[in-house]
Amino acid sequence: MPNWKLINKTFLYDGTFDGFLTIVFDCYSNKTLPQKIFSEAEYTFNFLDHTTYIETDFEKSKRVFNGIEKSISYTTLYNTYYAFLSDEPEKEIFILKYLCNGFDIGPKINNMLTVSYVFKVMNMKKRCFGECHRLKGLLRFQEIGNNLYYASIHPDNNIIEPLGHHFISRLPNQNFIIHDKIRDLCLLYNGNEYRIIDSTNIKIPTISYEEQKYQELWKLFFKTIAIKERKNARCQMQYMPKKYWQDLIEEP
Amino acid sequence: MDTLQKLQILADSAKYDASCSSSGSTRANKNNGIGNGNKAGICHSWGADGRCISLLKILFSNCCIYDCKYCINRCTNSVKRATFTPQEVADLTINFYKRNYIEGLFLSSAVVKSPDYTMELLVKTVSILRNEYKFNGYIHCKTIPGCSKELIDKLGNLVDRLSINIELPSSTSLKLLAPQKEKDGILDPMTYVSNGIKQNKLEKSKFKPSFVPAGQTTQLIVGATPESDLKILKLSEGLYGKLKLKRVYYSAYISVNNDKNLPTLEAPPLLRENRLYQADWLLRYYGFKADELLDETHQNFNHILDPKCDWALRNLDKFPIEINTADYFTLLRIPGIGVISAKKIIKARRSFALDFEALKGLGVVLKRAKYFITCKGKYCNQVYKFNQNFIETNLIYQERNSLPRPNFQQLSIFDSLQPTKEDKIKCLTGSL
Repeated sequence: MPNWKLINKTFLYDGTFDGFLTIVFDCYSNKTLPQKIFSEAEYTFNFLDHTTYIETDFEKSKRVFNGIEKSISYTTLYNTYYAFLSDEPEKEIFILKYLCNGFDIGPKINNMLTVSYVFKVMNMKKRCFGECHRLKGLLRFQEIGNNLYYASIHPDNNIIEPLGHHFISRLPNQNFIIHDKIRDLCLLYNGNEYRIIDSTNIKIPTISYEEQKYQELWKLFFKTIAIKERKNARCQMQYMPKKYWQDLIEEP
Repeated sequence: MDTLQKLQILADSAKYDASCSSSGSTRANKNNGIGNGNKAGICHSWGADGRCISLLKILFSNCCIYDCKYCINRCTNSVKRATFTPQEVADLTINFYKRNYIEGLFLSSAVVKSPDYTMELLVKTVSILRNEYKFNGYIHCKTIPGCSKELIDKLGNLVDRLSINIELPSSTSLKLLAPQKEKDGILDPMTYVSNGIKQNKLEKSKFKPSFVPAGQTTQLIVGATPESDLKILKLSEGLYGKLKLKRVYYSAYISVNNDKNLPTLEAPPLLRENRLYQADWLLRYYGFKADELLDETHQNFNHILDPKCDWALRNLDKFPIEINTADYFTLLRIPGIGVISAKKIIKARRSFALDFEALKGLGVVLKRAKYFITCKGKYCNQVYKFNQNFIETNLIYQERNSLPRPNFQQLSIFDSLQPTKEDKIKCLTGSL
């Protein structure tokens, strides 16, 4: 990557993972690095930028996707995916550098933690993966119909898809909706397949008596299980930051 | 009595059990059932005491026939008693699990009628969950001391983890505080389960159910009896070595009963518990031996410094350690460098030689480590001297905020001349 041409351009794409991989393809084949990369929705017009919109090309993105696993490593693909889901501004440029250099030098790239953009990508992945793991525990379903469950979340990163995969393999017979209220995304699962849709208006019907009963039981259990003599609010808050409390059933 | 009241009584009795981890099981979702295991474990909530809630931790019953002095459910105590039915526990677990409140069930029980009778009830509950509901989530069960081997086999084939609490670290303490329990009654089933796990691993096959796949654990009470930290740590080391236990939990003693044989503590010895856990990790992941951390002259842990710092200061001849050449287990001996940092260092130094800036870039915390390492042969620029006195002073100074503070007060000349109420009134009225 050292003698690549830096071009004074801002690339825009549609915000999808495929769109981003298309940019990676174009940059790697032309040996050029853009100044900035933005998803179209996040970009505000600026008369200093020379913008180019990169059309998503599934043929190209598929080649990059397979190429990462083949010529770098599975770990790199994994890191790229989770880093892409993070909410970090300018995440694209770091991942682009990480991937392009990775194609040049191979799986060694994952060990080069002292290189700033590799470290940055690893950190983004860590944060994203960590939040996903935390929400695997902190997400709460409510029964809103016959075998239909609803959960709302307010995550920092866009982790609805990996989170959905966890619950699909765990509760395969349960129909559920996971609602990301920050990004207005809904993951719907019907026992067979899942789909992620945009949603601005979701009305939840009032919950049943049965559901209320279990919520009461859970609240009671939560209160009872703590030992009074060992009270430690700071420790509790550290593990379970206040931003997650709004979606919980229990009241910490 | 309805489920709400039963849950309150039986969760309240179960809360003194420290164990609540849900790790070690890779049980997949089989037979189109509900749930699966997660290797790393998942915490679902954290209680007001900061301990994680990952399992539905309840007793099956608290109607106990034993009279252990330290226990809240001893038969001579007047507390509310309740007993679940196997169906009730299974329904509660499934419904909590469907709503993602919990990762599985932690079922323990007081001894009702006889150990075998109690054990049969536990087996029945777990088999409803596994066979009728096809539940593949995590189940942790207590073995009742003194039950028959056939029941242990039955239970072991259904659950993920078994545990039996030693509670008191020596047989003399056991005799004093839990006269009806015997040391052999606790250690025999433990050895039996440990052998069973070993055998099951050797005979592993697709058609054979796995026996206690997540291993077994135990718990020790700290501070109820006069044993030293060294003795407790030695016991844990033996349990990890010989019986291949996954975890030993330490529970700071909380006085719930009054008895002439029990100490009266104002607060549970939480710091001591913390030090024991730190040392426990050093045994399991860092390659330390109990004899290295404590010896006859130092029987208890230092209150101010953690066990690893304490060890390092007593063994300064082994330092400084060169980051770029030391092997993994030597890196782990540096205070402030843990498993994650050590692995990162090993990875990163394959491509570049590391200096202090690069270590910071890796996210290695240098707060304590900087006194004990060299990078490319150089000390950190904040380490002026390399002797015990200098390093100890600095380490303690860094920890000053987390240490308990003595009650100091600013002295004043006017302390003895405090104005009385009358003086103040005179002030206001202007007659002074």
